[in-house]
Amino acid sequence: MTENLPRSVIEPKNPRLNVSRNANLPHVPGIRVGPYIFLSGMGPIDPETGERNHGPIAEQVRTTLANMQHMLESAGSSLERVVRVHVVLADLADMPDMERVYREFFPIDPPARTAWSMQLRFGNGCEIECVALAT
Amino acid sequence: MSPRREVIVASPRPRDAGSSVGQPASTLVRGGDFLFVSGLAAVDPHSGERVRGTTAGETRQILANLKQLLEAAGSSLDKVVKVNVLLHSMLEAPNMNEVYARFFPEPPPARTVCGARLPDGAKVIIECTALIQ
Amino acid sequence: MREVIAAPLPGLDLRQHYGHHQSPAIRAGGLIFCSGMLPVDPETGERRHGTLTSEAHVIFGNLKLLLESAGSSLDRIVQVHALIYDSIEYDVLNRVYRQCVANGPPARTVWTAQIEAGFKVQLDVIAAA
Repeated sequence: MTENLPRSVIEPKNPRLNVSRNANLPHVPGIRVGPYIFLSGMGPIDPETGERNHGPIAEQVRTTLANMQHMLESAGSSLERVVRVHVVLADLADMPDMERVYREFFPIDPPARTAWSMQLRFGNGCEIECVALAT
Repeated sequence: MSPRREVIVASPRPRDAGSSVGQPASTLVRGGDFLFVSGLAAVDPHSGERVRGTTAGETRQILANLKQLLEAAGSSLDKVVKVNVLLHSMLEAPNMNEVYARFFPEPPPARTVCGARLPDGAKVIIECTALIQ
Repeated sequence: MREVIAAPLPGLDLRQHYGHHQSPAIRAGGLIFCSGMLPVDPETGERRHGTLTSEAHVIFGNLKLLLESAGSSLDRIVQVHALIYDSIEYDVLNRVYRQCVANGPPARTVWTAQIEAGFKVQLDVIAAA
């Protein structure tokens, strides 16, 4: 039985994607605990400018997933190691556009996923979080 | 040694809860000690077609399917550790709970229930994490 | 190995008080999966409706009791889904949240969702065992 799993904070190599630090929010971008990585929900932040990308939903989803990939790779993991994803959309009508982009990032053996719609902050069209294996 | 990550193909393969365009999610993914199950909407396990009914009816269909999926993957309802239930309305929580209580044996897993806007007219979506073996 | 973490105080047994078919928390694989924690009185189980701030304080107090009874602690929380009833309260959530997880804040996603009994906030957490 495993106990006292070691924990460490995960930060993106690109500091512009460290939203919690940049906005002084009380969370971390992600945590590694034992064999697992838990990432905080990510929104469509432009990796060049650090500003929110509020273009069409397809672009927002692409930006968000690319950022998630960056976050995982910063921690030595990858999209292939993701086991669970939560996709939250501000508008249910955006599901088909989200799907088209999503499958580009998870083309083979995609992770488990639950997708639904809720009110999102900052005018974001999507927020995506995941659990991954660290190695 | 790296923990195993493995997609487990359910047979028959229900359609993903949130998809109308094929299968962008794997229903069951093993990661290390755990089985991560995608959010399930009510589907007919043979045809994969969406089943629409009351919240209680959809809950019953989802959990019956979940039982089959877990057992086929070497797990079971009594190995589930955490469940997230999404309802189209929290007013339906007691109806969902009454059915739910009949499926999960003692002692039941941890659970969080909340109300949200669900895709494809689903009244309830249930996802869970279970121990494998 | 799947182990049930029982309610350390009677008020935290939501099953007994509200018929929720759930255990307070489950320990497995080195993690503790907690049921969504609500602002209920830990002794009596009575609902403690209030402001988002007051409700969040009750919730964190309850989580502290639950996790410490399981050999864990608030500092060992790794992931939080913070459910709030309206995103307008986001800053309020952050203020109280900052007070309660000052040491090693966890990964977090905030969900604006419908919460039972008209509560303003609920916390769904996973902690290291």
